Amino acid sequence: MDGHFLGWLAVFLYVAAEALAIVALVGERVPGAAPVALAAGLAVQFADLQAQARVMHSVPYRTLSGSLALFGWMLGVAYLLLWLRHRERSIGPFLIPFVILFSLLAMWLPSPPSAPRPETQGVLFALHVTLAILGYAAFAISFVLSLLYLVQARQIRRARTGLLFSRLPSLEAIGGMNRTAVAIGLSSLVVSTLLGTIWAARYWNGLGDAKLVWAVFTLAVYGLLLWMDRRGWKGQRVALLSIVGFGLVLFSYTVVNLYFSRAHTFR
Amino acid sequence: MTAATDARLLVLGWNFRTAGEAVRERVAFTADEIREGLQGLVSRGVVSEGVIVSTCHRSEIYGVAGEGDAGAGLTRFVSEWRGLDPAELSGAGFHRVGDDAARHLFRVASGLDSMALGESEVLGQVRQALRLAREAGATRAVLHRLFEWAVAAGKRVRSETEIGVHPLSIPAIGFELAAKVFGDLSERTVLVLGAGETASLFARHAAEAGVSDLRIANRTPERAAELAMRVAGRPVPWETLADELGSADVVVGATASPAPVIRKEHVEPAMRKRRGRPIFFLDLAVPRDIEAEVADVYNVFVHGVNDLQEAAEANRVRRAREVPLAETILEEELGKFLAWFGNLSVVPTLTDLQRRFAAAQEAELARVPEAERERLRRFAEALSARLLHEPLRRLKAETDPGRKLDRVEAIRHVFRLDGDE
Repeated sequence: MDGHFLGWLAVFLYVAAEALAIVALVGERVPGAAPVALAAGLAVQFADLQAQARVMHSVPYRTLSGSLALFGWMLGVAYLLLWLRHRERSIGPFLIPFVILFSLLAMWLPSPPSAPRPETQGVLFALHVTLAILGYAAFAISFVLSLLYLVQARQIRRARTGLLFSRLPSLEAIGGMNRTAVAIGLSSLVVSTLLGTIWAARYWNGLGDAKLVWAVFTLAVYGLLLWMDRRGWKGQRVALLSIVGFGLVLFSYTVVNLYFSRAHTFR
Repeated sequence: MTAATDARLLVLGWNFRTAGEAVRERVAFTADEIREGLQGLVSRGVVSEGVIVSTCHRSEIYGVAGEGDAGAGLTRFVSEWRGLDPAELSGAGFHRVGDDAARHLFRVASGLDSMALGESEVLGQVRQALRLAREAGATRAVLHRLFEWAVAAGKRVRSETEIGVHPLSIPAIGFELAAKVFGDLSERTVLVLGAGETASLFARHAAEAGVSDLRIANRTPERAAELAMRVAGRPVPWETLADELGSADVVVGATASPAPVIRKEHVEPAMRKRRGRPIFFLDLAVPRDIEAEVADVYNVFVHGVNDLQEAAEANRVRRAREVPLAETILEEELGKFLAWFGNLSVVPTLTDLQRRFAAAQEAELARVPEAERERLRRFAEALSARLLHEPLRRLKAETDPGRKLDRVEAIRHVFRLDGDE
């Protein structure tokens, strides 16, 4: 079956989920419809990823386009989990656009067919990449939550009790969700980095990769963030740090991968 | 649409728009007075049914009466009952008949006619008015239906518009802002400084919002204890105020102190003790209770009375924007009520009843052999005409408009002339 048909179907379902999420936020109607549409989109995109994997005879995220697709998919899954846990529908409209964006990018970027290298086929490698992408997805959610935190804090300080104020959750609730997202992201990235290091030690001589340096740097920022949160610096400073942290993640995902890294170039 | 019945709806009332407090006070009725007044109205035949809505802002008498100037009869009754000059009474009141009377009640029930636009208490007051009238035996088919319909329309307006969503009162806005910091306030600690009017208003609001840990501090400890007792709170000593900040999440400043009672040097150590958890200050005092520099401390929120008043004004505008949608809903519901009421007259009921009998005949005739059908049709028509003759004659002959409505309504009900309800 044409993989692009499934890809477009998934994007269509995500767009429908976004529309329904906005309706649920603004009009307080059909609160359960957006997650259902999103879940359907995720199922379709999963089938699409599997079809691609069969064609390529390897995990689909070995290419840049595949890894973006998986990133978008993980973001959707992570949001769905957050929704199941908190039933907080107000963040959907702000998060689902990122799912749409990454799925579209994945389809537009060329994915050059190349024979898989033997070292990229083991379980170790697959886990390393999957966990890294899950971590990034969790950080992306933390980024969006932090923006919402700053917006809501501003509304409260200015006593603006309008639509956004009444629909967004309390600072306490956003902060709690943010903590969960960062904790998931941090633990995924720690395990992923360890697995990557083991993998590198097995196939290369030495660990000298810019990506590893960057990963440790990112881990340090998010670790500091959780520590600050515990020490009582919760609030806007934590939100700002999370936004900075996500900037690092994006930089690592794009510039470092493409220009500095030996092994993360998607070739 | 105008009801085609002989009986008409009417309302005579005095509210905050038409009457000064002096008049309103004298036409404000207690529950006992309402029952007594309604019984008088019905037994004297001023109206065939009646309901009195009496709240702080309005006193309104709804009735069903036949042709003639029932409004003047009502005014006369009230002026005799309350010992008021009829001219003064009608000068300070308003009077609506027919569809406009029903529309007025629908607007009242949905909060569109309230002083605080969109408030919800009035819905309960309308329901209570119907209950009292039923206890007095003063309602029959029409007003009962009218009031239930108005309550349902009011509920629809509340659920389908945002007319009641944005709070208008200063304490409600203050605690709404605090709730957007902390989430559920019931698990939080609220500290009220002062024991005067504003302090007790906020303390009462916090208690009603379900705050379990409510503390009152006042320079005169007796007054703190007194207020604490009224709101199921706990008095705390004025001297340990700085320590209290370590555990209080929301602090309401409402003392008469000439100088700020909470200073930055109190708040900074408290924040260390709180491990950064935010504090939310509401400063209602003039001059301020909370020093301006307190707002510079990280994770501290301070709102003065001006902020809250601006938010109240913005919310009033938001509510006003919902009025056209609310009116559309009301007109839709009103249309349904008036259609029902219009059918409550003799002529459409007779037509509906004859149609119902004819339909039953045809259904039965369809089951007999064709050869016999014509003969049986003549028989069935004769039987129907004979059976319907006496009830229809009596219905037409009824002169009391209230009883006539009751009978029409009973016939419509037992023959299900309005379809399934």
